[in-house]
Amino acid sequence: MYKSTGFVSFFLRRFTGLVLVLYLGVHMWVIGAATKGAETFNTRLELFESPVLKILEILLLAAVLYHGFDGIRLIIVHYFDVTDYRKSLFYAAFATSALLTIVGGIPLLLYALGMWS
Amino acid sequence: MANRSFQGNSATIRVQRFNPDVDEKAYFDEFSIHLEPGTTILDALREIKSEQDGSLTYRRSCRHAICGSCAMNINGKNMLACNQPLKDHLDRRGRITIRPLPYQPIIKDLVVDRSVFWEQYQRVKPWLIPPQDVPEKEFRMSPEEVEALKDAEKCIMCGACYASCQVIGLNRRYIGPHALLKAFQKILDPRDSVPGERLAEVAGDDGVFRCHTIFNCIDACPKELNPTQAIETLRKLAQKRQAFEAMRRERQKSLIVSTPTRTAEPSGD
Repeated sequence: MYKSTGFVSFFLRRFTGLVLVLYLGVHMWVIGAATKGAETFNTRLELFESPVLKILEILLLAAVLYHGFDGIRLIIVHYFDVTDYRKSLFYAAFATSALLTIVGGIPLLLYALGMWS
Repeated sequence: MANRSFQGNSATIRVQRFNPDVDEKAYFDEFSIHLEPGTTILDALREIKSEQDGSLTYRRSCRHAICGSCAMNINGKNMLACNQPLKDHLDRRGRITIRPLPYQPIIKDLVVDRSVFWEQYQRVKPWLIPPQDVPEKEFRMSPEEVEALKDAEKCIMCGACYASCQVIGLNRRYIGPHALLKAFQKILDPRDSVPGERLAEVAGDDGVFRCHTIFNCIDACPKELNPTQAIETLRKLAQKRQAFEAMRRERQKSLIVSTPTRTAEPSGD
């Protein structure tokens, strides 16, 4: 495989896109229960309270943030000539996603470990 | 990219081999050669072929980075073998790995079948199609118009960009950075009279909209050209190709008017 930041971006964008589509299906299943009454809705929502799923939610956050910031990077690439700073731009998008994942992930992690209510 | 840590005077060359008449799949051979100052990767291959294994097969010609024959994959990256000092590509143990260009069928050892590469090149009609009325003298271009071509004529058709593009790896029908750079050169050339038609061709299913701006082509190009930016420009132009063609016709009218053309048979004896 030809290694480059461009390829990492290409691959991760598609991978996170797939993750987001699958998540959307699950999300619609849970939230759609609102039409089936409070009990069904609460039951489904509670499925996602388990620590394992809270950890998965951190990964979901990472996917959303990466996909979003890399998407912004892509829009910049399409409107400007970024040749000279193409790698730095990718690192900036990646670093921003990583930073915000950590910031957002800490409360989720604490919740999962039962140290947050 | 120079590896200052390797200080020895011999190098280990790992070369991918494949003889379709004999082998079921590709494998690596290792050769050891003496390292002289100024030895290029191509020099190493030549030494191996002439002194160690005459069956080693690779393409080469000019040995000074103008013919484009010797593009191959060195330590995972595409480049020309003739203008790369061997020392710069050796790891700490003095090894280098040479493979043929990716994403194309291997004919033998480091030689790949480039038919699709050339077909895509032909597809974009890489020749000027002049207008009906041609000036008698030269077809003049302003320095700005030459500048806009961004040195695309420097391309030596080595294939390093084409074989580095993951879109090619996933979709053999993609026209490719090499041909799209040539299309860019012709579309922006004021001497060409069919930019609208060219833009329609490259804006189709296999063209400029298949590029995912992975940028490997820029990294691989031995002439430091920029197919990605050329493709981005073509994307913008493709969206207003009729206006662009109208502008071209106006530009060419001014050429015809300003440069005298033959209007009558010369008289006199």
